[in-house]
Amino acid sequence: MSIYSRLIIFAFLLLTAGPLLSQVKVEVTDGTISEYNLAVSPVHTSEKELNELSSNITKAMEMAFNLTGFFNVLDSRSFLEKPQTKVNEIDFKTWMNVSAKGLIKGYLKGGAKPELELYFFDVAEGKKILQKTYKASPKMLKKAAYRFVNELVYLLTGEEMTFMFSRIAFVEKKKGMYSIITMDFDGSNKKIVHSSKKILLLPEWSADGKKIFFTSYEKNNPNLYSIDVRSKRIRLVSSYEGLNTSATAHPDGKNIALRLSKDGNAELYMLDTVSGKLKRLTRNMAIDTAPSFSPDGKEIAFVSNRSGNPHIYRVWTNNTSRVERLTVQGKYNQDPDYSPDGKYIAFTGRDEFYNFDIFIFNISTRVISRVTQKQSKNETPSFSPDSKLLVFSSNRKGHNAIYLSNVKGDKQVMVYYGNGEAITPAWSPQVIK
Amino acid sequence: MKKQVSILLITAIALTFAFGCAKPPKAERELAEKAFRSAAIGKDCDKENYLAAEELLNKAREEINNKNYDKAKELFLKVKEKSDAIVKYYQTHPDECLPKKEVEEEVEEDVEEIANPAEDPDLDFPVIHFELDQYDIRGEDMAQVELMAKWMLNFEEKVVRIEGHADERGSVDYNMSLGEKRASEVKNKLIQLGVDAKRIKIVSYGEEKPVDPASNDEAWYENRRAEFKRVN
Repeated sequence: MSIYSRLIIFAFLLLTAGPLLSQVKVEVTDGTISEYNLAVSPVHTSEKELNELSSNITKAMEMAFNLTGFFNVLDSRSFLEKPQTKVNEIDFKTWMNVSAKGLIKGYLKGGAKPELELYFFDVAEGKKILQKTYKASPKMLKKAAYRFVNELVYLLTGEEMTFMFSRIAFVEKKKGMYSIITMDFDGSNKKIVHSSKKILLLPEWSADGKKIFFTSYEKNNPNLYSIDVRSKRIRLVSSYEGLNTSATAHPDGKNIALRLSKDGNAELYMLDTVSGKLKRLTRNMAIDTAPSFSPDGKEIAFVSNRSGNPHIYRVWTNNTSRVERLTVQGKYNQDPDYSPDGKYIAFTGRDEFYNFDIFIFNISTRVISRVTQKQSKNETPSFSPDSKLLVFSSNRKGHNAIYLSNVKGDKQVMVYYGNGEAITPAWSPQVIK
Repeated sequence: MKKQVSILLITAIALTFAFGCAKPPKAERELAEKAFRSAAIGKDCDKENYLAAEELLNKAREEINNKNYDKAKELFLKVKEKSDAIVKYYQTHPDECLPKKEVEEEVEEDVEEIANPAEDPDLDFPVIHFELDQYDIRGEDMAQVELMAKWMLNFEEKVVRIEGHADERGSVDYNMSLGEKRASEVKNKLIQLGVDAKRIKIVSYGEEKPVDPASNDEAWYENRRAEFKRVN
């Protein structure tokens, strides 16, 4: 082959390979991730009846990008270009003028099954990086948009953001009525799983995400039940004398750890939910409660007041004499939750001004960071399945509502605000499509 | 002659004055004795002055016997003055001066009228309160717990349920244990005082059943409690 042919082939390869090799990674400088200015151009539809759906999809993407913590989602009111601008007509200069680094464009077309087209452009290069088309029922299209967000975030950062495909369970207390409610992470698709005039408390997911454990006073004693989320079938799991509460699921899907006070005092036990076999984990006069399994099932984070005040501890399930105290500051630390990646334990802490806030204990560095501050009362954190976000209850708007936050605490979003008290949320352990 | 009568008269008058009135001071004595009898009410609370008045009175009576009527009169007047002062003191210091014996008798009568609560089958069970984050029985509540023990020992067939509660602040999970600990501390005390453990049930409602739904110190205090309920 002559040198000229080779040059031509080389030039041709360069031209076509360019888009595949574009460097649009999010910058990492000095150990912190500087935020990437992202413009989400409102999803456009020419059909009036799809206006609400296109608006919901836009808002959903903005919220999801924001929660990942990687992006500074720009205010769409500052945009100069109209949403209906076609992709081959985009003037990238106008986007550079609003400081956008990345641009999302979306188009929604009607039909028996509406069609959603989503694009991502690198503004500086004026190049299309990602394009996807989804055809689904209106309800599923928002989920499709989340898939797009997750794919793009993975492309830019290498991180999977599966929080978008999971559900949250919580208790709502309203005028003497208790309900266990589940919803998508963003507050949509709410379902009342169970409700009663008798007390319902402390919901927690099973390892496979198909059941929820909870405590009920149905038989006038706090007993532990499980409910199948689909069939609503309820099963009595533990009904010893005294408290039967605070289940946490072992990854084996069979065992749980829970609090029982049948032996005269609140202690932790491991219960085989199939055989009913019980193994005692703590043995002292103090209150031992609120267990949370590590992702490998080898340790349990829990609360004990054996030092005089309630603090967070860790016990090893195969060697229950090995107990480690994790918190020393403050006089009131509660409700620990192990992150699914095994790196953190989130908990509620009461500070010296009697404020309740969310804190995170880093297991390897043993450093405690604060997630909420000066935002009224914040309690009972639970990690998302990808360990990226926390769900918790906060009464900053008057009464208890459900909030999401990234681990840093600078991206907080309210996802449920009802008429009653929404409390003790639990994030499902895995992706539920 | 006139000069001699004048001298006699003057001498007589002088002698009369020198030897005082021949009559004892009857009026003054009567007043003094009466005043001193009245002053008896101040005998305890104005003790010093009463004893002083008593001494003066005794002295005055002695002077009468010794026929020192002027001196006696002087003393009787002093006794009256002092006695009046004692009565005045009594009237202006009722807290100090009211006879204690009378008050004691009144209290005893009241106590006798109320029946022994530990023997009352329809006893309104007491509510035991607790400090924030705590479950030990406070000193001021101990008498109530002892009363319940006595009641349980008097009515041997009765079974009670102790319900433990916490105020709304803090962890829902932990509050269930706080409520339970409060109930079991009370149960343990009853057992210590001789009540059979089988007659005492306990249950915790955590923060779920407040008596006062408000969010202030008074409500929270009311809600941190252990209550007794009849099972039979």
